[in-house]
Amino acid sequence: MSLPQLSCLPSHEEGAGPVSCTSLFWAFFRIGLFTLGGGFAMATVMRHELVVKRRWLSEDEFISAMSTATAVPGAIAVNLAFLQGRRLRGKAGAAAATLGTVCPSFFVILLVAWFALPYFGNPRVAAFFKGCGIAVAGQIAYAGFTFARRLRRDWRNFTVVAFGLLIVGVGLHPVWTIIAAASLGYALFRGLAPTHPEDHDHL
Amino acid sequence: MHTLWLLFVSFALVGLGAYGGGLVAVPLIQHELVDHRAWLSVMEMSRIIAIAQMTPGPISVNAATFVGYRVWGVAGAIVATTAVVLPSLIILAVVSRVLDMTQTNPHVWRIRQGLQAGVLSLLLFSMWSYGRGVISDWPGLAVAAGAFALLMIPKRKIHPVLVIAVAGLVGLIIF
Repeated sequence: MSLPQLSCLPSHEEGAGPVSCTSLFWAFFRIGLFTLGGGFAMATVMRHELVVKRRWLSEDEFISAMSTATAVPGAIAVNLAFLQGRRLRGKAGAAAATLGTVCPSFFVILLVAWFALPYFGNPRVAAFFKGCGIAVAGQIAYAGFTFARRLRRDWRNFTVVAFGLLIVGVGLHPVWTIIAAASLGYALFRGLAPTHPEDHDHL
Repeated sequence: MHTLWLLFVSFALVGLGAYGGGLVAVPLIQHELVDHRAWLSVMEMSRIIAIAQMTPGPISVNAATFVGYRVWGVAGAIVATTAVVLPSLIILAVVSRVLDMTQTNPHVWRIRQGLQAGVLSLLLFSMWSYGRGVISDWPGLAVAAGAFALLMIPKRKIHPVLVIAVAGLVGLIIF
């Protein structure tokens, strides 16, 4: 490809050995427990834990899974956990990662339902969570930044992004953005099949 | 029909329809649980959504656990939570197998290129729609910009959770 992709982080060390299901479970448990909101906000935390801190995945592997996770129905965070777990340790890894992500939400909600419900009306608590909630917007913006940085800056990508924005911007269901992006991509990237092995997307 | 089975069906539909993440699930939950099944009032639903946003995890999963618990106790919570994630995991298991087999296929590559750019549109849109929902004034915008700036600091790699906690403390002071 003529335009280089910027790379800011090295790939995970080769030969580090497979990640155990237990450590996968706890890594995703942490991610699930410490992310306010799911989806793209959780993608920021997941990237930090898996790509930056643990070096289990390269940035490219992470980004590639993100587009699959979004293109499929369901909570993006859960889909992303499934794909990353599967990549790191097959079916068992997918199960461990998914369970690890869902468990914290499940138990926290049960705890809230049992004990904490009255506290959510407290203005101090509300002010704290308002601050947190606003920072989540910053997290989503950062996820957008790390994602955009990996895309080639050419007219094809700009066209697809602009068209996709237009679709959700006028209030259509996001599934139409995905359908349009897939069709436009198929039409626009004709004759541009990957020439280098590293151009192949990983799952 | 048994309530647990109805819970399962309702949340499987929410899980399948919750497309593009986050608050997309809200109208689906309202349709299924408030309008269709009358398990919740609108007031209860908005309270649950607010709590689902303040607690860790995807909104659809949190809402499923909460509503399941309300309707049928802990068993309901387990059934609803499983139901909300199961359909997408089954689809994903099939899709990821197919993608593995077609990794070098140029047609699939073209579609995936388009999808990547499409995901960026959804990301930008969710930034706009989420941001518009939570940011109502200049101090709010300053907090969001500050959080983004902290995450952007190269080299240091501040943990995103720390950024959220700091923003919460700032919220305690200014709101």
